[in-house]
Amino acid sequence: MISCPDCSFENIEGSDECQQCGQSLTTLHLAEPATDVERSLLDDRVGVLDPKLPVAVTPQTPVGEVLQKLVAQSIGCVIVVENQELVGIFSERDALQKLNVDVDAFRDHPVSEYMTSDPQTLEADSKVAFAVQRMDLGSYRHVPIVDDQGRPVGIVSVRDILRYLADKMGAVDV
Amino acid sequence: MNFQLRLDAESVEHAFPSAPLTVEPQTAVCEVFLLLKDSHAGHVIVGQAGEIQGIFTERDALKLMAEGADLQIPVAEVMSRDPVTMRVDDTVGRAITSMAQGGYRRLPVVDETATLRGVLKSSGILHYLVQHFPAVIYNLPPQPHHKTQEREGA
Repeated sequence: MISCPDCSFENIEGSDECQQCGQSLTTLHLAEPATDVERSLLDDRVGVLDPKLPVAVTPQTPVGEVLQKLVAQSIGCVIVVENQELVGIFSERDALQKLNVDVDAFRDHPVSEYMTSDPQTLEADSKVAFAVQRMDLGSYRHVPIVDDQGRPVGIVSVRDILRYLADKMGAVDV
Repeated sequence: MNFQLRLDAESVEHAFPSAPLTVEPQTAVCEVFLLLKDSHAGHVIVGQAGEIQGIFTERDALKLMAEGADLQIPVAEVMSRDPVTMRVDDTVGRAITSMAQGGYRRLPVVDETATLRGVLKSSGILHYLVQHFPAVIYNLPPQPHHKTQEREGA
């Protein structure tokens, strides 16, 4: 049997594509993962990271208030939500890059002026390796998880990935 | 194709440490803010001549911004002192453990004379992982592309 990398359907040996989802299986004859960490990254889905519920604000929230929220709740970003839909993300990186030494002049401005609009998202059944690649490509430290309606249901951070890796290395003596 | 993650063998030098950005301890915080913006960086190492006195990160900057602090003070007053460091020959696995346990995203890397050589960032670790996986995994759609649910009869 050959397990589809995407939907885990068990196909008969030699199949070129998954009978359930149509994903190509011809690349599965590549090297097998050699370690547990590799195996986990390729098999696990971001749901196993137990994504935290993101802290949400409205686009009209004053950015000064958002800064205080980030500090008070010890978080690196908030998501910006309007009518239950994810419209942006505002991180400590945005604060430093966009407000910087002029922060006092902008405190009352709405966060929508400084947020990153339409952020990259993942669904809860995306592979951990895929999340890692998204973060690497886009230099993101946070990726919101959305449900099939596009509603935010969680957030994965680079910290979550590091904790996951440390956990998977576990008994391995490093 | 290198498909072997060797977290317990490869040194932190393989995880893309970046060249350190440093400022002297008496530098005003507002100057550090502007330097971080212009360099698109998230931290600076505070010290002199390769010696590390502290680290000032965008998290520290955020706290100052949130409380409307005076940005004219020297960075030495608000930096985190004596950050946890890695040796150049420490393994990637060790760095991951240290970051996960301490909640750090950046670890200064020093040589045997405790001289600053670079900074290992969590983004470097992610890049290292991505480099070690075959391209195939990333070509997988996040959602299966449904062609058909039924096997076509013939």
